[in-house]
Amino acid sequence: MILKTGMQRRIQIAGILIVLGLLVELGSLFSPRPSAFITFMFVGGLFLGAGILLYLYSLVVPGRTE
Amino acid sequence: MQKEIAVIEPATTLVGFILISIALIAYVIFRPEITMTMVGKILAFLSLFLLPVLAALMGANTYVEHSKTTGFCLSCHEMQPYGKSLHIDDSEYVPAAHFQNNRVPRDMACFTCHTNYTLYGDLKAKLRGLRHVYVHYLGTVPEQIKLYTPYSNRECLHCHAGARSFEEGATHNEELKRIVLLKSNQVSCLSCHALVHDVTHLNGLTFWREEKR
Repeated sequence: MILKTGMQRRIQIAGILIVLGLLVELGSLFSPRPSAFITFMFVGGLFLGAGILLYLYSLVVPGRTE
Repeated sequence: MQKEIAVIEPATTLVGFILISIALIAYVIFRPEITMTMVGKILAFLSLFLLPVLAALMGANTYVEHSKTTGFCLSCHEMQPYGKSLHIDDSEYVPAAHFQNNRVPRDMACFTCHTNYTLYGDLKAKLRGLRHVYVHYLGTVPEQIKLYTPYSNRECLHCHAGARSFEEGATHNEELKRIVLLKSNQVSCLSCHALVHDVTHLNGLTFWREEKR
């Protein structure tokens, strides 16, 4: 059985957030409208930013084995 | 006066880049234990930091380039009368004459003459752009759309300055220093070339039909 550390769990959550952000950005790229740009910047950017910050946080905070 | 038309590359590269990023992240999500090894750590850094940041920057750049296109501006119905005014069959209308005679690139007609508008302007202009999106969806669009500041001669001079027709034109040199006043924006080009986007009187006009070649 593979034990997951807190760090690995955080990396998984960060990965999910980043994938969501990239999917939003990918979807909005196909629309030429200004609202798509806003979605790209603020919704996609929010998920991406949160995911990247969580990943960076997981690097500096020691995790415990669950 | 015809400017080189900047071709906006299709986003195929960017789409591929995003898909590769997603695939690598998915691998890290399903096998997080690989982050215990050096190779796994590098893969995690690439997929969870470097690639998403690059994808976001490339995407933002694609959008900024796309926002220069006439199609982007006219994608809001409020702007469509202004797009229609570019097809007025009367050379007295300055924007129509410029558009129809390729004095501005047709696919970037709005941006060429409004270079300081919303996304391309200062912070204040960018915030106005955000407000426009809000008003478009949730607010009340004013009946008459006006520029926030008087039209600057800079928009004309970035093409016409140095052109013989402008520099040596009889009217521009008729009075002493008129050309100096034009160049320093103290006298507006529109004070003589006043017929621009007259969208309130479009109904009685005839329109040029652009032939697709």
